[in-house]
Amino acid sequence: MTRALVQVEHLVKHYRGSGLFARNDQTVQAVADVSFAIAPGETLGLVGESGSGKSTVGRAVLRLEPPTSGVVRFDGVDLATVPPAELRALRREMQIIFQDPFASLNPRRTVGASVAEGIEIHKLAPRAEVPHRVAELLEEVGLDASYANRYPHEFSGGQRQRIGIARALAVSPRFIVCDEPVSALDVSVQAQVLNLLLDLRDQRELAYLFIAHDVALVRQIAQRVAVMYLGTIVEIGPARTVIDAPRHPYTQALVSAVPEPDPDRNKARIILAGDPPSPVAPPPGCPFVTRCFHPLKDERCSAQRPALRLVAEREVACHYAETIADQAVAAAQ
Amino acid sequence: MTPLLEVCDLNISFPHATGPLSVPVDDVSFTVSAGELVALVGESGCGKTLTGLALPRLLPRGAEIGPQSAIRFAGTDLTRLPDRAMRSYRGRRIAMVFQDPMTSLNPVMRVGRQIAEAIEAHQSVSRAETRARVLSLLGEVGIADPGQRIDAYPHELSGGMRQRVLIAMALAAEPDLLIADEPTTALDVTVQAQILELLDRLRAARGMAVLLITHDLGIVAGRADRVLVMYAGRLAESAPTTTLFRTPAHPYTQGLFASLPRLDHEARRLTPISGTVPRPDQWPAGCRFHPRCPVAIARCAEQRPPFALVGPDQRAACWVAQGVTE
Amino acid sequence: MRSGARTGLVILVGLATVAVIGPWFAPDHDIQGNLLTGTLQLPSAAHWLGTDALARDIFARLAYGARVSLTVAGLAVAVATVIGVWVGLTASAPSRVLAGVAERAINLGLAMPRVIVLLVLLAGTGQIATGWLGLVLGLTGWPAIARLVRGEALRLREAAFVAASQALGASSGRVLWREILPGTLPALLVAATLGVADAVLLEAGLSFIGVGVRPPTPSWGNMIYEARDHLMDAPWLLLAPCVALVLTTAAATLLGESLRRSLLPESR
Repeated sequence: MTRALVQVEHLVKHYRGSGLFARNDQTVQAVADVSFAIAPGETLGLVGESGSGKSTVGRAVLRLEPPTSGVVRFDGVDLATVPPAELRALRREMQIIFQDPFASLNPRRTVGASVAEGIEIHKLAPRAEVPHRVAELLEEVGLDASYANRYPHEFSGGQRQRIGIARALAVSPRFIVCDEPVSALDVSVQAQVLNLLLDLRDQRELAYLFIAHDVALVRQIAQRVAVMYLGTIVEIGPARTVIDAPRHPYTQALVSAVPEPDPDRNKARIILAGDPPSPVAPPPGCPFVTRCFHPLKDERCSAQRPALRLVAEREVACHYAETIADQAVAAAQ
Repeated sequence: MTPLLEVCDLNISFPHATGPLSVPVDDVSFTVSAGELVALVGESGCGKTLTGLALPRLLPRGAEIGPQSAIRFAGTDLTRLPDRAMRSYRGRRIAMVFQDPMTSLNPVMRVGRQIAEAIEAHQSVSRAETRARVLSLLGEVGIADPGQRIDAYPHELSGGMRQRVLIAMALAAEPDLLIADEPTTALDVTVQAQILELLDRLRAARGMAVLLITHDLGIVAGRADRVLVMYAGRLAESAPTTTLFRTPAHPYTQGLFASLPRLDHEARRLTPISGTVPRPDQWPAGCRFHPRCPVAIARCAEQRPPFALVGPDQRAACWVAQGVTE
Repeated sequence: MRSGARTGLVILVGLATVAVIGPWFAPDHDIQGNLLTGTLQLPSAAHWLGTDALARDIFARLAYGARVSLTVAGLAVAVATVIGVWVGLTASAPSRVLAGVAERAINLGLAMPRVIVLLVLLAGTGQIATGWLGLVLGLTGWPAIARLVRGEALRLREAAFVAASQALGASSGRVLWREILPGTLPALLVAATLGVADAVLLEAGLSFIGVGVRPPTPSWGNMIYEARDHLMDAPWLLLAPCVALVLTTAAATLLGESLRRSLLPESR
């Protein structure tokens, strides 16, 4: 078995204070013990709603923010123990694409300058050759090479996203964190950018950590998927297995809530009661206990946090995962 | 039976704006009957929000409704009414729920008060009765523990709850038509499901008509009675929901369906619509979709197709769909 | 360019031109003419704005004063900007220690009453070179700029394109120099322009009370002081420097506000 390209072990990230969820004296447990591995060329989808911690995981894996505890290994190397100069060199191999195409490009730099940044930082090409490389990259993402001299505001969201992808590709990475790369785009453009990501993956043998809230999208692109709720992974396994036949109640609710453009599909809808709890004060037992509709839910669920265990070809964090029906359960409340 | 709302040739323009002249909403016609849920679907910039705002005449400054346009509500043409008369319609007979619950609520006023204001604007009721009505509304929109929530400030509530409050405000005066502009876009998927379920339930319970404006075709299935698809300021297609999903007539609608990732999709790649959505100052002549259309013929670039019947209850603005071959 | 900016710019350029070449066209500002008959003359062909109590040509003094005022203001703004940017960027650094120290320095600086400090620093000195005056003004004026730069830098640090740069492997120095600093320039430009107006007024005030530019070197401030004794018999003595002062301050403010409107739409 090939060694994992990215290995995350017991990742924890706490924030102190202000922000969306807490005041200054409170601790937000954004990520509470997350572990997974991504093989070279593999796409792991990371699905969850707001407050699930998925974006934080993405940033922590790239070490854009230091984790509170836990280990992130890239190609076997523990990123925390690596000296800064070496870390910078390693950064070539792991890149990120952001959600907001309007904020991810420096408005004062030309498109070409933004794309060339990685090349310049790591001195990957002699100065005279840089424009040529930039032109190649722009064409690879489906943009005209002449765009290099223009400024971001002259482009649409979809085009800007492509520019961001070109910038990430400039350093020839092996792994890219895609943080909601298409959610801010128009529907008719999303498919274009997604196809581009698929093609690039095949041509360059890239591994992706694909973070999204759109379950159908993740199912399209990921081989494996991890479902996050309140900072922990509640279910992880092959994408089609997890999404087509979910075993964790939250996954079932999530999949059931996906709006499907097909009026004939008679899907029983699970409507969860209440709102997602805040990551400031997560309950001691299973994080989902306050909204769980499993018929066997009991005191054990409130007291003891379930660990991930192998059930029906995927790992689930639920005490009663074996007994939940494969089809969506009848509506709760 | 006469429809509750009849929009005829709605034209919205910004005549005094600098820059190239364009008509952001161009000849839009549709109807909504009592108790019906009609979905108006389209991408950003297609004019659907402006269309929604035009109905209660809440257009931004500088926007003008064309002289040939008519918006008939229960028989009366709203475009001919002076603003004072319009006020008796707004809230009372036509209510609107806006997109972003974060910014649509007054942050320094308790939510109970805000709902009460919506009631008091149209009816003179005693304090006690207003409070009772507010509590009942909060319960109706599914807010648990209304007695406590009534005194909460907006920032103390989650996004889903704020949206419910907005819906409660819209329902306060018992409107006949509720216009919901992207009511779930800013919300999580599970909360989205809750809100849509709520709208459906309210519609059935009150016999209210709903115009749901959205970019998400998915939330429309199984909920809307009819769907209107807009592209670049014009109506591309209109049909009952099942018909639209089974046999979409307009290439744009077809393209949208093909490009959406679906849970039952087996193919690896998606089929996108080529090109990008044109900006209003760059709208093409003839059929506005023709540069991106896989089946466009010569006439599409020259002549604008009429919004004509292509099936028993289906209209599409497309030459090819109408059987024209050259 | 907006009309406000254009007007302001034209006036300022005009004043700068007068400051630079004006004194060549007029009699030397130092020379006292005939003390018996040449004092307090009305404007004439020989003396465009008349003469003052010591029979000196007012236009020449005004022009030289413009040179003084604009030099002092320019220097003050330059020094304040250089120090302010440096401290402000440090105060936005990720290192809590560094940022903490810089932040405290800014707060301390802002808390000090600028005019009083200037009085203390300048009162004891004799004739002071314009260069030193400008420097001193700048040394007391940097906290406001630092606070501004810190605010902008903090905001920019959160921007996605900065994170993208870091992800690409940019060192923090590179990020600072290529992403954050350029981002603060619009706000800085506005602050600097308005700072000129502020500095001109401050210098005039200090010269008026006698601790800024001392006579015989002309400054609009001390010219106003000297005009006090002749309000009735020679009002043009007062009018000339006052108009000049108002014009300069207004022009700089117009330009600054116009820049703010076009460069920083969010702060409207």
